[in-house]
Amino acid sequence: MDFEALWLTLRLAVGTTAILLVVALPLAWWIASGRGAGRALVQAVVALPLVLPPTVLGFYLLVALGPLSAPGRLLIRVVGHPLAFSFAGLLVGSAIYSLPFAVQPLASGFAAVDGAYVEAAAGLGASPWRTFWRVVLPLTRGSLLTSAILTFTHTVGEFGVVLMLGGNIPGATQTLSISLYDKVQEFNYAAANRTALVLVAFSLVTLIVVYWRGAGRRFVLG
Amino acid sequence: MAKIDPSSPVPSSPALSSPDQVPPLSSPASRLSVQVRHRIGSLQIDVAFELNQSWTILFGPSGSGKTTILRGITGLFEPAFANIVSYPRLASPTATGTTLIDTDKGICLPPHKRGMVLASQKPTLFPHMTVLENIRFGYPGASNAREQEHLEELTTSIPKLFRIDHLLRRRPAELSGGETQRVHLARATMARRIHTLLLDEPFTGLDRALRDELITDLLVWQEKSQVPILSVTHDVTEAFQLGAEVIKIAEGRVVEQGPVAEVLAAERERLLEQLNASKGSQA
Repeated sequence: MDFEALWLTLRLAVGTTAILLVVALPLAWWIASGRGAGRALVQAVVALPLVLPPTVLGFYLLVALGPLSAPGRLLIRVVGHPLAFSFAGLLVGSAIYSLPFAVQPLASGFAAVDGAYVEAAAGLGASPWRTFWRVVLPLTRGSLLTSAILTFTHTVGEFGVVLMLGGNIPGATQTLSISLYDKVQEFNYAAANRTALVLVAFSLVTLIVVYWRGAGRRFVLG
Repeated sequence: MAKIDPSSPVPSSPALSSPDQVPPLSSPASRLSVQVRHRIGSLQIDVAFELNQSWTILFGPSGSGKTTILRGITGLFEPAFANIVSYPRLASPTATGTTLIDTDKGICLPPHKRGMVLASQKPTLFPHMTVLENIRFGYPGASNAREQEHLEELTTSIPKLFRIDHLLRRRPAELSGGETQRVHLARATMARRIHTLLLDEPFTGLDRALRDELITDLLVWQEKSQVPILSVTHDVTEAFQLGAEVIKIAEGRVVEQGPVAEVLAAERERLLEQLNASKGSQA
């Protein structure tokens, strides 16, 4: 079992989840309350990582974050080193790759909140900001948790973007999935099997938690 | 139509016999001036009226646009045309109003800057909050000592007035229908920036005893707070019970405005005839 890779994977997943909750909350709220072509465009862009091969994303990120592009050069000047092939670069890549998993549960949760509560809050003089934090968000706690769990799990399971963007540097960019790939390349099937089992067990348990909670909620409401 | 208990003798019915219960505000000047034009489906709303009494009723049948007018005043939607101005409580001849919305000038204040507090017809207590948290929702923290004192005073006096002080720790799911309605109205009266209280059919579907209680409670609250009330109803009995100023609406237009005894005289006659007829058929 590769503990260095495990530790790195956990840090990456926690970091990505934290970043994405901050980004996804306003984005999902905007999607849930917006309308028109602008909303369709944003929804499509958010969903892109679901359908694109991770290599496409990884490739563009590699170019965008590297010295070949203006934003990349600016980043290099600010940070002091290229983001590609670094942990920070992985964070950026993971956040974009897992974006739909963070946004979609939240957006559907927000859309399901009874508009009468939002109007009641406005009718009592609450600002939109206060209404969001005190009424909408507490009523969508379940979606928030689902969003966090799915983002975390999906980040643990990603491979293509990490490989394209991070390479394979132990301690910096070698996550569990990359380490597994490495073991297989070395024909070290016993080690590969242990890593694979850890990933399977982790994902299965998390998904059971997600579905169990979902079923429980429906039961309570029904 | 109002549900009337046929066993109660008509002449002594409190609903129809005391037209002067609502005390006038300290100043008879207009507190709110409303002009709204908006089309919903086949209904063209086109109204203009002033609120200058302490309690004013928008009276009209279902589907005549009453709720839409309230929502437009609160700011829950932007009508195609609207010009709404609120005036300060102690109006002096030099006092200028606050334009809440003026579509011609492109002014449209958001609901939380208007002070038009709305209690919807269907109670919407926040299910994740206790009763206490619900009623304090419209008064989010005090910014100075005076406000803090006011908030604390309200937090004791309002639950007592609306007889919900034994329910403060409960969740909305644990309340009966009557208790829910009490909390719903109490919550609206606690809003911090309240200029006018708008009530959308606040007593519809309530039994008579509860309605009488709530009306009394609101009148007591109003006497103290001096906040004008604009309520919506299609119930003649309720209008007479409040003895309020009535703005009669039909198909999106103001038909008549004035004291209830004048504006709803015909409706009252019809109601009394019906009562007599039902008494006759019982005898």
